[in-house]
Amino acid sequence: MSKNLKMKSARAAKDLSQQELAKAVGVTRQTIGAIESGDYNPTIRLCLAICHILDKTLDEIFWEDEQ
Amino acid sequence: MKEKNGLDEMQQERKNRIGNQSFLLLMYLLLIDGGLYGFGLRWIEYPGNIMLIISLVSGIYVVRLIRNQAYVGPRPEIQRPVRRIFVMVFLAVAVAMAAMGVMAFLGAVEVKAVKDMTAPLLVITSLSALTVAGLTGFIIKRQNKDHEGREFR
Repeated sequence: MSKNLKMKSARAAKDLSQQELAKAVGVTRQTIGAIESGDYNPTIRLCLAICHILDKTLDEIFWEDEQ
Repeated sequence: MKEKNGLDEMQQERKNRIGNQSFLLLMYLLLIDGGLYGFGLRWIEYPGNIMLIISLVSGIYVVRLIRNQAYVGPRPEIQRPVRRIFVMVFLAVAVAMAAMGVMAFLGAVEVKAVKDMTAPLLVITSLSALTVAGLTGFIIKRQNKDHEGREFR
């Protein structure tokens, strides 16, 4: 899996740290870090929670164009 | 996002994976032990061999959980870990003493054997409780550490 730079930039745009985002969605900071670095594939529930916090749609954060 | 045991979904996934691997390891070790016994090689008398294998695999399981940060889940704040450590140690010692007392009273085992075992059991129990409580407190503190550095921004 590739890095999720869209999520990282959306989080930075909201001026949220990994810890703050993790607390908001109820996971550990390590989980957010793993999602951003592409080491973990989150469930749709967690994806939705992240999108709600970042005010983005699933497409905007998690859609990957085929190479 | 938290499961019933307080772990988040990634931690739960890791815990399940490590649990499955530990279970397979336990099965293979027991099979090897049984095979060795079949060849006439008895490295430790029964039930010591089984206890040792179970203890070893349990230890590996816990260490791997801690290493993979799947031992404790996300918590909003730390609730006096030092006080909790003392309570846990006190409870562990009390339970161990009560169990030994009941066993001696009922005559389930020889009193001499109980007395011989009491000291090591108490030490092991309290040390285990102390270690687990200390590790848990440390992990919670580490996981909840507020990283304000640039790398996490």
